[in-house]
Amino acid sequence: MPKNLRQYISQLKEQYPEDLAEISRTVRPVEFEVTALLEQLERQQKYPVTHFKSAENLFGEKSNFSLVSNIFATRELCANALDFPRSQAKMPLSLEYAKREREQIKAVEVSSAEAPVKANIQIGEAVDVRTLPIVKHYEMDLSPVITMAIIMKDPDEGFYDMSFIKTFYDGPRRLPVTIHSPHLERILAKYEARGQRAPIINILGHHPAFFLGGLSLSPYGTNDYDAIGAFLGEPVRLTPSETWGSDFMVPADAEIIIEGEVIPGERAIVDPFGEVTRHYQAQCIRPVMEVTAMTHKDNAIMQDIFSGHRGHWNLGGIPKEGSLYNSANRKFGGVRSVHLPYSGCSRFTCYVSMEKGGEGFAKLIGMEMLTSARLLQWCVVVDEDIDPFDETDVMWAVFTQTNPNRDVTVINNARAFFTTAMGNTKVIIDATRPTDIAFPEKIKIPQDAIERMKPEDWIDRK
Amino acid sequence: MDSASRERIFWVTCPQCETKYYVDYALRFRKDVALKCPCCQRSFAVSESPEIDDRWL
Repeated sequence: MPKNLRQYISQLKEQYPEDLAEISRTVRPVEFEVTALLEQLERQQKYPVTHFKSAENLFGEKSNFSLVSNIFATRELCANALDFPRSQAKMPLSLEYAKREREQIKAVEVSSAEAPVKANIQIGEAVDVRTLPIVKHYEMDLSPVITMAIIMKDPDEGFYDMSFIKTFYDGPRRLPVTIHSPHLERILAKYEARGQRAPIINILGHHPAFFLGGLSLSPYGTNDYDAIGAFLGEPVRLTPSETWGSDFMVPADAEIIIEGEVIPGERAIVDPFGEVTRHYQAQCIRPVMEVTAMTHKDNAIMQDIFSGHRGHWNLGGIPKEGSLYNSANRKFGGVRSVHLPYSGCSRFTCYVSMEKGGEGFAKLIGMEMLTSARLLQWCVVVDEDIDPFDETDVMWAVFTQTNPNRDVTVINNARAFFTTAMGNTKVIIDATRPTDIAFPEKIKIPQDAIERMKPEDWIDRK
Repeated sequence: MDSASRERIFWVTCPQCETKYYVDYALRFRKDVALKCPCCQRSFAVSESPEIDDRWL
């Protein structure tokens, strides 16, 4: 059976039942009941994939669709999605991601009859997205928001590009879309320059590896359907869309697909929305998608991202860690590990450990990081004996080994993409032990003693 | 571009329900765009906001 979301959830239930929470009582997503529950689980340090089996739609009626969130809420779940060992969910997972980013498995075509997502088809005015259990996440959000991925197709080169884009509700068939990723902005600009309506699809559920694969930092021109295959470990099955036929192919094993067209030049008000930063995004204007069709599986599961929380952060952080590790090592060598911690929303802050080649190298590594991932605003570089995944260790290095007058570099007027107090500023902190001055040495217990004194061998059993 | 000045914001107050929220500075002087209150959904021009806080460094 081709990989899909329902099969993934069943597998999770069988293999890791503690990682799945199933809720049978009917929830009202538009009344914050989904996010309120997830928030309280987080306060208890619990991050299960949460399947709301009964949810109200925007009409206030019980929806035909169930709802699932927290699919990416832990690194272990992300490892699971890629069939990678959970015990290797730190740097090895990021490196595995970077490895698959360089591989591709070509997508295959299947007929509509073979495509589960075509089990139910609504066209034109028959579509009403209010039948979906769309989530209102935060108190000041402008509207309920679909948080999943959209796909567009380059009109010249014919490749498909995927990105996670917020889709606001502004009417049964009118959905403002906050297109902001560099690739999708380029594709949309091409259509708008020609005065053409841009085909766009919204994918509201698929196997988690499908979405992880679509987030790879691949160059413009990469066909994301082929890139995703390497993450699924099998070809993505594609089928003709309802609106454009074979001119725009859609994933056959998705749960729900909304097809539509971006109207050239039209803009609508979007935001506030509780974003990855845990601040509300400022109100602004963005393009508008006019819905042309909706197709879905029988008993389809709609997926949602708990924005500004760990699942959202992992989606951005894990792909970047592997890519940054590779780019820095290609250029300089000596980088041991890279981590984008939750404290920086896995977007703005990067911890890097390196084998110190001499004074000044930490700053070069920091510059490489800040220019390779455009959202990064802070980079802290530590020695190889510090684990970037251990924030206490990293901060120890900052507080004991950093001389603010020399080791903190502030780069002004460097473009930022979210509103933080830093504005257009980036910072590199060299927290490596200084080697050009007489400086204390870090305490250490002899390794042979560590190996000799295993707690399980020495502490009396009760 | 829509994304211009994305890092700068200004606060407005809804003339209907008095909810305060913030807006991309690119819309600070746009007369052709109506804002929309996230609380009561009222559309209004920036100039209708009883208070505007656009302080910046």
